Amino acid sequence: MVGAVTALIIILLSLFSPVIVKYNPITNSLRERLLPPEYFARGLNGHIFGTDDLGRDIFSRLLLGSRYSLFIAASVVSLSALIGTILGAISGYFGGIVDILIMRFCEIMMAIPNLVLAIAVMAILGPNIFNLIIVLVITSWVQYCKLTRNNVMVVRNVEFVKASQALGASKWHIMFSQIFPNVTTQLIILISQQFGWTILTEASLSFLSLGVQPPIPSWGNMIADGRNYLITHPWMVFAPGIALMITVLAFNFLGDGLRDVLDPKRI
Amino acid sequence: MIAENLEKQPLIRVDKLVKYFKISGKGMLHAVDEVSFNVFEGETLGLVGESGCGKSTVGNVIMRLTPHTGGDLYLEEDHVFNASKEKSNTFFKKMQIIFQDPYSSLNPRKTVRKILAEAYEVQKLCPKNEIDGRILELCDTVGISRELLDYYPHELDGGTRQVVGIARALSLNPKFIVCDEPVSSLDVSVQAKIINLLMDLQKKYGLTYLFISHDLSVVRHISNRIAVMYLGKIVEIANTDLIFNNCLHPYTIALLSAIPKVDVDKKTERIILKGDVPSPINPKPGCRFAKRCWMAREICQTESPELKEVEPMHQVACHFAAESRKLSESAETMTISDF
Repeated sequence: MVGAVTALIIILLSLFSPVIVKYNPITNSLRERLLPPEYFARGLNGHIFGTDDLGRDIFSRLLLGSRYSLFIAASVVSLSALIGTILGAISGYFGGIVDILIMRFCEIMMAIPNLVLAIAVMAILGPNIFNLIIVLVITSWVQYCKLTRNNVMVVRNVEFVKASQALGASKWHIMFSQIFPNVTTQLIILISQQFGWTILTEASLSFLSLGVQPPIPSWGNMIADGRNYLITHPWMVFAPGIALMITVLAFNFLGDGLRDVLDPKRI
Repeated sequence: MIAENLEKQPLIRVDKLVKYFKISGKGMLHAVDEVSFNVFEGETLGLVGESGCGKSTVGNVIMRLTPHTGGDLYLEEDHVFNASKEKSNTFFKKMQIIFQDPYSSLNPRKTVRKILAEAYEVQKLCPKNEIDGRILELCDTVGISRELLDYYPHELDGGTRQVVGIARALSLNPKFIVCDEPVSSLDVSVQAKIINLLMDLQKKYGLTYLFISHDLSVVRHISNRIAVMYLGKIVEIANTDLIFNNCLHPYTIALLSAIPKVDVDKKTERIILKGDVPSPINPKPGCRFAKRCWMAREICQTESPELKEVEPMHQVACHFAAESRKLSESAETMTISDF
């Protein structure tokens, strides 16, 4: 519940950020550099979270950055869930040589550390948002594949699937109407948890300047910018850092909450 | 009854059905080994045996839920295995199955209504707007209250769930139903209800059952004939009366002596079999029961006995079927009389 509300607030804030934001998040204003947070002393008109080393309003950059973070996370999660689920379902349902091939491929992918692979690919392809999404999809679809495959294998041998077979149902009917509804719960939970993970990885890559490129703000490169001012002007790091933490937590809580809501046995 | 059966064509004819499972690194598990039997129209054939003897596998193979390794199956003299696609579909409508566990046989994510609608959607038997009416009819047939249609399976008790399973099996108006231990996971009081429902339905619609169970008293109650299985082979088939009063295979004799009796005045002799059930993986030649049989002689170790007719409607697979009665009395027995 807490997770759902927080996640909803974050999504709404980033969607309506053009309306809320009062400062241009990209133009420098050296007269106003490194101003401390005014909080809500002047309502939404002041520099709520202060300004950074180039005099840009941190609140505006935070909101604009959230749009990129959420957009990237949403595309990555939906693409990798799609690819992973399809491959996992094929692997689990048909078994045999197909299963062995897909699973070995998954294991190869899992043996490579995600961040190292991401850094390598970004270094070769060059850092931009499109490549960032590709890299994150490559590293995260395996989770969906493994999860779907294992669940499908369990459900495939339960008697209600046999009953459906005995009624003469086709493989596709059994797959979509009998097996799949029993797999979605865990899939949705994984999706919402992966959402947090993706935002975090995107921030890590941006922090290493392999992700979203300046001057476009992202929480990762904002933290990187603030690193040098950590002792003297800590708000530059705190604002994006805390935003990141709250967002990841919110989506993890959302995952837990969804598990309870989606269980048909809840009374 | 006997004379009647002799003239009748069997509804289901199982001919030397074989099912092996490959066990990696160990060889072949002979789950079902050259099993042949007939099921006549309108009768109930009980299939009994201990756990792991392959009786459920027989049911699954007949329903084509597990591919067979060898042998043939005929429904009204039509080839069931290797049938063309259209033909194959008609067999789904004629043969249905009721499962053992009513908790796993219903999809937890579907309401009773959706579960019952599936057959009509899959087979496209009637237009969509008529499905609801069919389901209501089905409810009345098996006696489910119509209010239960929008419940999820976990909201129902075990007995009601099993009735839903029966309703689903009936939805395509089959002729033949495999009942795979339909009552063994239910309370005794509910068992009686389900058994009576099955018998009523049989009378009403002329259904034919293959009733798989390990509970001899239930099988005795519902079956016209009984087939006894041991380690993938049928050792004896006979009318229910013959099995209970004049069984000839040593395994059947031992099995029946294990039925608990209520009558404490009567002395009951119980035959305790020595040793464990041998492994069905790569079995040795010869009679499967030879290791534990008190009558076993040399021939039993080398030659597997065929299922032979010893009297009308009574087949036994034992080299010494004729002598078994006498010998069983001198076998090592244990008397349980003082409870």
